[in-house]
Amino acid sequence: MAKITQDQAHFLLLKINSLMGLIPIGVFLAFHLGINALRTVGPLQYQLSIDLINNLPFLFGIEIAFIYAPLLFHSMMGFYIYFSGKRNVGHYGYPRNWRYTLQRITGLIVFAFLIYHLGTTVAPKIFYGKHQFLAAPFLMDIMNAEFQTWSGRIIYLIGISSATFHFANGLWGFCVSWGIIIGQNAQRNASIVFAMVGLVLTFLGFATVLEFSLNPIPVTPTVGE
Amino acid sequence: MSQKTIKLKIKRQDNPRSKPYWQEFEIPYQPLSNVISCLQDIQKSPATANELGVNPVIWDCSCLEEVCGSCTMIINGRVRQACTALVDQIESPIVLEPMSKFPVVRDLMVDRNRMFRALKKVKAWVDIDGSQDLGEGPIMADSVRATRYTLSECMTCGCCLEACPQYTKDNSFLGAAAFSQVRLFNLHPTGAMHADERLEEVMGKGGIADCGNAQACVEACPKNIPLTDSIADISRQTSLKLLKDLLLK
Repeated sequence: MAKITQDQAHFLLLKINSLMGLIPIGVFLAFHLGINALRTVGPLQYQLSIDLINNLPFLFGIEIAFIYAPLLFHSMMGFYIYFSGKRNVGHYGYPRNWRYTLQRITGLIVFAFLIYHLGTTVAPKIFYGKHQFLAAPFLMDIMNAEFQTWSGRIIYLIGISSATFHFANGLWGFCVSWGIIIGQNAQRNASIVFAMVGLVLTFLGFATVLEFSLNPIPVTPTVGE
Repeated sequence: MSQKTIKLKIKRQDNPRSKPYWQEFEIPYQPLSNVISCLQDIQKSPATANELGVNPVIWDCSCLEEVCGSCTMIINGRVRQACTALVDQIESPIVLEPMSKFPVVRDLMVDRNRMFRALKKVKAWVDIDGSQDLGEGPIMADSVRATRYTLSECMTCGCCLEACPQYTKDNSFLGAAAFSQVRLFNLHPTGAMHADERLEEVMGKGGIADCGNAQACVEACPKNIPLTDSIADISRQTSLKLLKDLLLK
């Protein structure tokens, strides 16, 4: 294998970072919000989806390879990108320049939100060893409690909308950065389509928050105990 | 009755290493003035409201018809050419600053050498010399000629880079102007013979992947060059080259 130069590595890392926002992180976000919206159908339906996920083979490996490692890489690259530019919407407040700035700010917000989100869900789940069928009641209790306070609701509403904006705008950025859409009309049309994708995902997330807030129903493990 | 005047507030700097400071000038109003003619008027008897005999304001200009790019400066907070900034059409007092992304030589004059180094780096030319007669080049389609004409209007003025949030004094970003020139010369039938060499130059640190798609460049371009189309097009060319290099080399 030919030795890779520093310039080639720089280019490759940025390209992979752009792709990684879509696969696997964006795909995970869409699935995560979509599956969580099962809570609006009913607590049992939601519980079964958590049961399925927590009984997957090699779950820990899947989580590391497809969620945590890509998120860590995307975050580190994000910080690099954040500090490589100097935002200037004060002087040049064009809509696209605003979205450039918001993409970076929402990235920072989502990073902070994920530390909170993982700290209140995954970390206690692992700490108390709530695996397989024990995961669903444990996690649902946490969420029920969290959505009883306005601070909890607001944290999630900000976190979810930042993530969906970052994803929808990032999809557009990915298409331009990889040269999939080129002309001005194509770029405008694509931004409308991706805005709709973002709105649908935001709706799914907000509906789930609303359901948890209005109906905090505890459940017992589907199997065992 | 008091005479109608033009007021200017100018950010000044005596040499590349000294601290900038502001001075205010007031000159008699003349119809159809532009910012350059105001600066020329100040030069005749340079004096601020409370200080006589200050140094005349230094600026750069050449063509006076917005094709050379040398009089680019920040006028009322927005980057543009001083020659086409007509006093009757802009707000008063007129605030003049040198571009912030390039080293100041003196007052409003900056050193845009980084832009010209970028053009050299991306080989923004068509190679026509060889050790033997290369003969005539291939014919160019008129549609390509039309696209290239628009791109060729770039005057390396620096507006796109001044407006760009990704182009800073302490990084090595090449910027929209250079990427658009890669597209210009890769579109040329003879220039295309060296397309890969140009692409390689923008596939590194400071290259096309560093672009954050803020698209302020295309808004700031005084020549209405479709810079964002060029960026997306070079993104496509480099993406394809990346895939080709990974899969076929």
